[in-house]
Amino acid sequence: MRRGEPVVELHGITKRFPGVVANKDIELTVHRGTVHAIVGENGAGKSTLMKILYGVQQPDEGSIAVEGRVRQLKSPADAIEAGIGMVFQHFQLADNFTVLENVVLGAEGLHGIGDGARRKIKEISDAYGLDIEPDALVEHLGVGAQQRVEILKVLYRGARIIILDEPTAVLVPQEVDELFDNLRELKAEGLTVIFISHKLDEVLRVADAITVVRRGTTVAEVSPQDVSARDLAELMVGSELPSPSTEESTVTDVPLLTVEATSLENPLGGRPLLTDINLTIHSGEIVGIAGVEGNGQDELVEVIMGMREPTAGRILLGDVDTSTWQTREIREAGIGYIPADRHRHGLLLEAPLWENVILGHQTEPIYVTGPGGSLVNGSAARQETEAVVEQYDVRTPSINVTAGSLSGGNQQKLIIGREMRREPKVLVAAHPTRGVDVGAQAAIWDHIKQARRAGLGVLLISADLEELVGLSDTIHVILRGRLTGQFDPDSVTKEELGSAMTGATTEGAA
Amino acid sequence: MRHATKVAAVIAAAALGLAACGSSETPDTTPGAGGTGTGAPAAGEQIKVGMAYDVGGRGDQSFNDAAAAGLDKAKAELNIDSKEAVAQNGEAESAREERLQQLIDADYTNIVAVGFAYAQSVAKVAAENPDVKFALIDSTDAKGANIENVTFAEHEGSFLVGAAAALKTKTNVIGFVGGVETPLIKKFEAGYIAGAKAVKPDIEIKVQYLTQPPDFSGFGDVAKGKAAAEGMYQANADIVYHAAGGSGGGVFQAAKAANKLAIGVDSDQALTADEAVRDVILTSMIKKVDVGVYDFIKSISDDKFAAGEKSFDLEAGGVDYSTTGGKIDDIKAQLDEFKQKIISGEITVPTTP
Amino acid sequence: MTRRFDLRRMGIALSAPVLAILVAVIVTSTILVVAGDPVGEVWGTILSVPRPRVIVAIINAAIVYYISAVAVAIGFRMNLFNIGVDGQYRIAAFAAAVVAGEGWLPGPLNILLGLVVAMLAGGLWAGIAGLLKVYRGVSEVISTIMLNAIATVLVAFLLRKAAPQTGSNIVSTQPIPEGSRVGGLPLIPGVSREVYGLVFLAVLIGVLYWFVLGKTRFGFDLRATGRSESAAVASGVKVKRMVLLSMILSGVVAGLVGMPLLFGQDYAYGTTFQPGLGFAGIAIALLGRNHPVGIVFAAFLWAFLDQQSNALQITAGVSDRLVLIIQGVIVLSVVIAYEVIRRLNVRIEQRRVAQALAEQAATVKEGAPA
Repeated sequence: MRRGEPVVELHGITKRFPGVVANKDIELTVHRGTVHAIVGENGAGKSTLMKILYGVQQPDEGSIAVEGRVRQLKSPADAIEAGIGMVFQHFQLADNFTVLENVVLGAEGLHGIGDGARRKIKEISDAYGLDIEPDALVEHLGVGAQQRVEILKVLYRGARIIILDEPTAVLVPQEVDELFDNLRELKAEGLTVIFISHKLDEVLRVADAITVVRRGTTVAEVSPQDVSARDLAELMVGSELPSPSTEESTVTDVPLLTVEATSLENPLGGRPLLTDINLTIHSGEIVGIAGVEGNGQDELVEVIMGMREPTAGRILLGDVDTSTWQTREIREAGIGYIPADRHRHGLLLEAPLWENVILGHQTEPIYVTGPGGSLVNGSAARQETEAVVEQYDVRTPSINVTAGSLSGGNQQKLIIGREMRREPKVLVAAHPTRGVDVGAQAAIWDHIKQARRAGLGVLLISADLEELVGLSDTIHVILRGRLTGQFDPDSVTKEELGSAMTGATTEGAA
Repeated sequence: MRHATKVAAVIAAAALGLAACGSSETPDTTPGAGGTGTGAPAAGEQIKVGMAYDVGGRGDQSFNDAAAAGLDKAKAELNIDSKEAVAQNGEAESAREERLQQLIDADYTNIVAVGFAYAQSVAKVAAENPDVKFALIDSTDAKGANIENVTFAEHEGSFLVGAAAALKTKTNVIGFVGGVETPLIKKFEAGYIAGAKAVKPDIEIKVQYLTQPPDFSGFGDVAKGKAAAEGMYQANADIVYHAAGGSGGGVFQAAKAANKLAIGVDSDQALTADEAVRDVILTSMIKKVDVGVYDFIKSISDDKFAAGEKSFDLEAGGVDYSTTGGKIDDIKAQLDEFKQKIISGEITVPTTP
Repeated sequence: MTRRFDLRRMGIALSAPVLAILVAVIVTSTILVVAGDPVGEVWGTILSVPRPRVIVAIINAAIVYYISAVAVAIGFRMNLFNIGVDGQYRIAAFAAAVVAGEGWLPGPLNILLGLVVAMLAGGLWAGIAGLLKVYRGVSEVISTIMLNAIATVLVAFLLRKAAPQTGSNIVSTQPIPEGSRVGGLPLIPGVSREVYGLVFLAVLIGVLYWFVLGKTRFGFDLRATGRSESAAVASGVKVKRMVLLSMILSGVVAGLVGMPLLFGQDYAYGTTFQPGLGFAGIAIALLGRNHPVGIVFAAFLWAFLDQQSNALQITAGVSDRLVLIIQGVIVLSVVIAYEVIRRLNVRIEQRRVAQALAEQAATVKEGAPA
């Protein structure tokens, strides 16, 4: 492999936040014309490192050299000036603007806002095979194309070094392939790509060099030819790795939760949010739902949890119709809920942990006391919280700190713990391991599998196909509010799932 | 030397009178007092007068100013030390009591409580301080051996300006803006309507009150007064009478803007209102609160204080209409005829509309 | 560890109102200097030791303010801005005065009846805003402002119907019979004025507020909804029901605001019945951070400023309206200070958690820094 001269050199970068060392003695050398991956667990310090490189934060120690020159990057403007651009995980595009307008926004001085800019965009698009039409409206573009617009924006501003933060998180497998093709074009033109990810197979496919970050520092630089995904993962966590696969089937023929011909109209008009959903979860079964975000997963969960009433069809818990029940009754009946957005739906960020453990289970006998169960049993709640913290490895100095002061992964573990400790019959779990580090992820999988053996039925919604395939007994694909295919996780490939998720094929193998 | 101080005292008093014509100011201790202490010819003991004004206070160009004028007149003639305080909109009953008590504590033992809102507090504080003498303006609700209730026949005066409005209107539509809908202000309204109808039985009279009790802001809200009067002028009224204290300034502004006329209240407002709007004032219903206040102080000075109700009606000269500006010179004869009829009892003016 | 946390947090919490008061003193002094008024005499008057008579007045004002602020705070804890406490307490006081004035029941029972009527009236009036919000999505801010205006006119209208025709300028309802008045407590010796007997009502309300919000399931649901409506919905809280209930509850407490005045001082609802207590309640609830004890301090501060300022006109020759500036600045700065402190607290706690974990990790086993 051809290796150009070093374009980015970080030496001894250390960044301390009060009480925490986020980065420590980071050593990183990136060569021209390569895709350099930086991998690490959530919270390992990748984000801080990239923020330092993009000028958002300044290191306390160490030096940064870009293209041989030592630089002080005090702001993103300095970084752009040095030829560094960044594509964030969450796109920063105005939907109702055209590509041209989005690209020139904030860079009007470079090539104007008219034909000059349009020519330049065409030129960049052609040069790197981005296939972008300057006058298309951004809202009409797919996720992959929007990401290419982000890349184009960065190139338009003259970047020669592009940082991509978790770029594949939002893409289906086909789009990932296209992205990787683009990256190869970029490096062929002499540009350098810094690629941040924790999806190891992808990293192995596209990277020319891989730097592993663990606990704030760079622990290894390896070449993709020399390592396996498993090796990499072990480097990341510093220990042996678990895998999500379920060993033997525990599925019974006792239906726990049945969704029958359920539809949900859009109150604002337009296409129904859910159309004719049929789904059964048996005791001991994990039913996975695969789909690109925004295809009705949230609505399906809300209908099951009683937060919305379906406009047609019914939902049975055992053989009791719960369609008109409200959330509290449904929860009391034994449905546990792990919401997709833990900040919005799962936690009271300003309340202490022990109050958060009560949340969702306010009427559980264990948490109430007094006449008619009208009082909160604070001491019982505290005891339970201690148990959750202990059993689910929630890292906190005390159960009296606010939920908002925990890291995301620990917040998630608290939620999982509070739901699982109540031994639900059915668990509705949306992205149960999102934002959780690898070690905790394995623990969460274990807890779910254990409960499943004891007869728990799970509706599992996840964007992580590996998790879906590994845990589920059955996988449904949801597309535009319909269940468009059912797959056997033992035989399905990610590509097949990806096609079904984007609608490339309509029916999967049963 | 003696002359010099006397002149100074008079100038100071005059300056105060002028200051009262300006926009509302923070009430202040009265600087004239020091001068009178040495120079007043009316020898004898200095009289300490505490004035507790109603909402708006000195400078409202209306009711409170009239009371202040009585004090100023007394100060010019008698040996007086005075202290003034003013009520706030929406204050607690205890605040009014406290105000009176504070004046007494500061040794101002002759108290003028301006406005019926003080009735309850005067009753209470007067009972607790039997040696202090009170004049309670506009109310007979508090009685006591040390309380003089000073009342006025507002309905009679309002009758005359109502007649004037009816005689002067061209559109046959006139208006009445009341500050707060209380029985007292209803008395103004009743007299005004009766006077207007006595001239023109078919006249249309638009009536609006700015606020309802217990909200007394209608006596001190220029914007509300202006809005109410604007509405009336737009609805074809050409003369509007206000009994709204400080809010009346807004009525005059509206009249000026609409190029129409208004009638003032309590003081001769063609003399006391903002100069810019004086020319819209047809006449004013003068309620001689100043006479009431002066008489009270004078009675103390003469040691002739008498508790109980003292009514200032048309016959006693307690109410009247003003002729400043000469806009009603042509109908003066007719108005005086009504005046005589009321005094003689030929016309009985109602006190409720 | 926990105790240290709480002490520190308390110190920070207290620094906000203290800072706000300092800012208010500075701003007010500046205004006085610019206006050429005697700064020293003004503060001398306000900060003088209150006379015994004034102490009673301060306690009495604080009692009424406290109830009003608790009514507002119930809404605040739920993220509801009940601006309508003002209208609610006036409607309620009027209704209670009419019913109690009739003297249908003997002595203390009549008082009880009056209190119940007041709670019902206040709750009903607030309930209108609650229903509008739940079923029509009308912001409670708008509806309660409107309801305040309607309450004013309605009470004025009904007052004229209910009042005996005496021709007096002070229109008021039938006075409550002697036997149904609540006598005062001669707490301060040597003063003829007495503390409202219904001071116990305020204490009871405070205790109940603390208990219901802090200890009951209903209170938990209410606080959860206030902190995050979406999370509360997901946890099974019937938010519409909570909105309606807490609005009514706020109104019920608001209904009691005028009771110490009615049964302990005025004995009738009339045109001089003190208005504006609801708005003071908003400021006091903000200042007291909706905390049952915090509000006690805030109510006393408010009452202290109010009563001490009465003497300003006489001793310093400055309008007692000045106190409105002081109070206004205090509220403004306290709101800002609390927000700053809140953010600071969040950051401090995050840092402490991270620090504690880092120490833990260093001693026990390796762990990733947050």
